[in-house]
Amino acid sequence: MSDANSENNLLLVEDINTFIGQFHILEGVSLNVPKGSITVMLGRNGAGKTTTLKSILGLTPPRTGKIIYDGMEIQGKRAFNIANLGIGYVPENRAIFRSLSVLENLKIAEREKGDLDKHADFIFGLFPDLERLIKLPGNHLSGGQQQMLAVARALVPENKLLLIDEPSEGLAPILIQQMMEAIRELSKATTVLLVEQNFIMASQLAERYIIIDDGKSVKSGLMKDLVQDKDLIHHYLGASIKTREELEEIYESKA
Amino acid sequence: MNQKHKRMLTTGMIIAVTIAIFTALYFWAGQQTFIRTALSGLTLGSLFFLVAGGLTLIFGLMDVLNFAHGSMFMLGAYIGWQLYTNPTFIFGMLPQMLAFSSGVLLTSAIKPFLIRWELPERWIKLLPKVSLLLALVAFVVSFIGLDIMGLANTAMVAMTTATASNPLAEISPQEALSQYWYRPLLIFVSGALVAFSTSKPGDKSQFALQENISKKLLIPAGLFILAIIATLIRESAPEAILLMNGNWRFIIAIVVSVIFGLIFGAVIEITLIRPLYIRPTFIIIMTLGLSYVIRELVQLLWDPLAYQMARPPLFAQPGKAPDLISWLQNGNATIDIAGVTFPTYRLFVILLGILMFIFITILMTKSRLGMIIRAGVQDPQMVEALGINVKSVFTMVFALGVGMAALGGIGAGPFLPIQPMMGDQYLTQGLITVVIGGMGSYVGAFIGAMALGMARAFGDYFALKYSLSTAIAEASTVIIMVIVLLARPQGLFGKKE
Repeated sequence: MSDANSENNLLLVEDINTFIGQFHILEGVSLNVPKGSITVMLGRNGAGKTTTLKSILGLTPPRTGKIIYDGMEIQGKRAFNIANLGIGYVPENRAIFRSLSVLENLKIAEREKGDLDKHADFIFGLFPDLERLIKLPGNHLSGGQQQMLAVARALVPENKLLLIDEPSEGLAPILIQQMMEAIRELSKATTVLLVEQNFIMASQLAERYIIIDDGKSVKSGLMKDLVQDKDLIHHYLGASIKTREELEEIYESKA
Repeated sequence: MNQKHKRMLTTGMIIAVTIAIFTALYFWAGQQTFIRTALSGLTLGSLFFLVAGGLTLIFGLMDVLNFAHGSMFMLGAYIGWQLYTNPTFIFGMLPQMLAFSSGVLLTSAIKPFLIRWELPERWIKLLPKVSLLLALVAFVVSFIGLDIMGLANTAMVAMTTATASNPLAEISPQEALSQYWYRPLLIFVSGALVAFSTSKPGDKSQFALQENISKKLLIPAGLFILAIIATLIRESAPEAILLMNGNWRFIIAIVVSVIFGLIFGAVIEITLIRPLYIRPTFIIIMTLGLSYVIRELVQLLWDPLAYQMARPPLFAQPGKAPDLISWLQNGNATIDIAGVTFPTYRLFVILLGILMFIFITILMTKSRLGMIIRAGVQDPQMVEALGINVKSVFTMVFALGVGMAALGGIGAGPFLPIQPMMGDQYLTQGLITVVIGGMGSYVGAFIGAMALGMARAFGDYFALKYSLSTAIAEASTVIIMVIVLLARPQGLFGKKE
């Protein structure tokens, strides 16, 4: 990677190896996330994208390799210490707290008292539905509302980097559109590392991409180069793109 | 029929059945007997709740089934009883405890500097072992010649008035300061070395926080000063406490017992349970073993005898108080409730259980800690990812649970015989309560505990009335559990997995 050592990186991952139990899940993932960008991680199911996010956050700590965030080595630190350095996490299964109300789900993410009040306008501006549902317990929300809550929760404290895992999974098309708008909006203030199976969404949002395959990072670069490279897309991402027409559509929209 | 209707129907049925049972009991037993037996049931239920509440919180958050909970209940009773009748032992041990924890915390505070040491590989492996060995030697030497048994020695107090006539009769002399002074110092060194043996100098993979060190030194320094003070007041403090008004002394006993429970719970969680979270079955075996260790230590210190703790003066005067106010003025042993004579101390136990339930409810619904606990029950990993130190929350909840058990122990002290097995029955009933109420639900624990208390009390009453075996009363709680599990396998307030 040409720009791996540039000062401009908020996050730099160098050759991490992660094991879960006996299984060697990540066998050398390297990536970099420049400040102020949206970078998307692509790859087939089970390639190791989610584990990469969890390794960065310290939830599945890497056994070897380096993770440099904001100029500091963070590998080996406890997850809550890493999160408190300003990293927000939106997990793939949403993982909102079902027995807590919407308000409590947001409140629990506060790192300092008043975090929620400070960012309430921004959050409810992105997701007006949540303000209406504020008293409802989490298990009464629909899938889309849960996803919005999960993203909103990551916006409560002052975060420099957001790790967002599959925000479009299981959402209706109209909600995907809304989610995309929200991510585009929040990325103006925050750097985003995104995992996204929906290639249309990924290609429209992200400036940069990283392809993970079989636990290794195999390719990275600018999104606008990737959409031109049909062979590469088919080789690594074939499964995640449904039809030939869909792909054509993407090319047209980018052309 | 949707979920909501179904739930309403179930709740309605449960309430209807409960009312029906109580009405039937009322007419069957007659008004006076009913009130007396119901109050006895609430007393038992309160104690069950104090055990089950902690069990269920701990299980809900950490999936830890603490089989040592009954022993912690018993330990709470012993500590409170010792402070109430003979604080010599507690004050004799206090300087050592404080000095040891001061040593441990000192090393922990300077740990970030220790792990930056550049040491050869051989030393890194050898140093912890050597320091642990030295710590052990210092620990043993500091106790050689100290008459621990003598300090713990307390005569059986058969009559409630025995201590009232001469409260200082129980006190045994402490070692003179000229012989004693080196013991806390040695144990301070021992504590520092124990912590050092686990701190892995030179281990760069550990994260060293760049914090202001002088702030962290405040706590060990404070503890050290407290240890010095404790050394100096070993003789005078027990006397001062024993000459106090018995009611105040009892309140102090409760506070000391609860604080002991909180600290003991935190220490157990950090040292013994934390390394085993990845092996849940080991935790069960460990807590089971721990309960035996605690019981044997207690037998060693106080002999396997049953002691009778004197009731505090507020509950001790013979005679029956006609109403609440005259009881509070005269401190009668019994009180008249709707024509029924009932021991006043048991009312206090009921109050204790209800207050604790209110406290837990407020803690869980209104405080940030409660919010974190409720979230952690569902997904501890996500809570950690939000920047919350889940491990320290685990420690707090475990400490809270053990503190509650200790409160139950000292609460039970004045009306149960204090003996090493006293917690066993409460552990069993506590576990049944947790199953009935639903794992992890404190509301379920409260309702389940009260139901079990009632079942025991009425079971005893009917067994006596119809000259049946009292085993029926003991079996009744298990029968209730079976019925509840058949109808709702997740317990009354449990959530389906």
